[in-house]
Amino acid sequence: MKMAALGKLSQALLRSSFGQTRRQLSAAASAGHAENASRTWKILSFVVALPGVAVCMLNMYLKMQEHHHEQPEFIPYSHLRIRTKRFPWGDGNHSLFHNDHLNALPGGYEGHDE
Amino acid sequence: MTHQAHAYHMVDPSPWPLTGAVAALLMTSGLAVWFHFHSTTLMALGTVLLLLTMYQWWRDIIREGTFQGHHTPPVQKGLRYGMILFITSEVFFFLGFFWAFYHASLAPTPELGGCWPPTGITTLDPFEVPLLNTAVLLASGVTVTWAHHSIMEGERKQAIHSLTLTILLGFYFTFLQGLEYYDAPFTIADGVYGSTFFVATGFHGLHVIIGSTFLAVCLLRQIRYHFTSEHHFGFEAAAWYWHFVDVVWLFLYISIYWWGS
Repeated sequence: MKMAALGKLSQALLRSSFGQTRRQLSAAASAGHAENASRTWKILSFVVALPGVAVCMLNMYLKMQEHHHEQPEFIPYSHLRIRTKRFPWGDGNHSLFHNDHLNALPGGYEGHDE
Repeated sequence: MTHQAHAYHMVDPSPWPLTGAVAALLMTSGLAVWFHFHSTTLMALGTVLLLLTMYQWWRDIIREGTFQGHHTPPVQKGLRYGMILFITSEVFFFLGFFWAFYHASLAPTPELGGCWPPTGITTLDPFEVPLLNTAVLLASGVTVTWAHHSIMEGERKQAIHSLTLTILLGFYFTFLQGLEYYDAPFTIADGVYGSTFFVATGFHGLHVIIGSTFLAVCLLRQIRYHFTSEHHFGFEAAAWYWHFVDVVWLFLYISIYWWGS
């Protein structure tokens, strides 16, 4: 019987801390009814969250118009373009996301760029 | 029929912990073999075994919980503990990489030019794609909360819509990061800046992919009526993990992208 009481007590304690997240979210969401929280979050999604993403997309698009990718000047710094060990792919000299226009090799930019 | 006099789940013997361990062994030794002997066979074998292990182990958990009723409240409580402990361990994992970043950036060595960002590094503009990525992940946090309330209120269609939206946002983030990685004027080999940037954001990206996959599995389960309004811990675990991924990004954004630029 004592075990059951102890179990119930620990269960209540745990439930309060795990349920807290849900309660906090419900509390944050419930301007009025907690039962209709899904509607609140749906509204938040379409009025705040997704427009926020759209604004950032617009901002990006506008910024892209201003500057196209200028190639950074190549100076053979010894602390950059480290090659103490070859990359285990290709010729071992190109990083995984290598970009000819923007990533110089230790000797300088490759190919057609000056 | 035998009965148990307790509410806990005595799991049947399973081969998956062993296959998982073997997979881990093959993947790690395979990685070393790849680096030194340029063969990917061992690593590929390990990866396949890992995928098979994950699929079958979690399939079995779903069978035990959803179909056989073994996930009583005390069992669920244990699963909650487990997920929280796991996420805590992941927090410490990322803490290490943040430690490395701050160690390098707070006291930049003379080799770097005594400054941060190091001489010769052209950083990414934090108010372009990184800001969009922040908006995308924050939005996905809102939509996953919408999904949770929908499930709790028995709104089946809304749950499916909001979960799908969350996953799409996750994919969009991954896509944008991929673009950023390709368009970055620096690489992982560009000194400690490159190392800290790509290792920290790279592991984060991997966790976004993992989180998106977890949510996608939840979407499949929601469509197949696995969740009830009272019992849907798999979804809650995925949502917790997703929020964790979002918070890590916020720290990455503030530290590496913004302060570090």
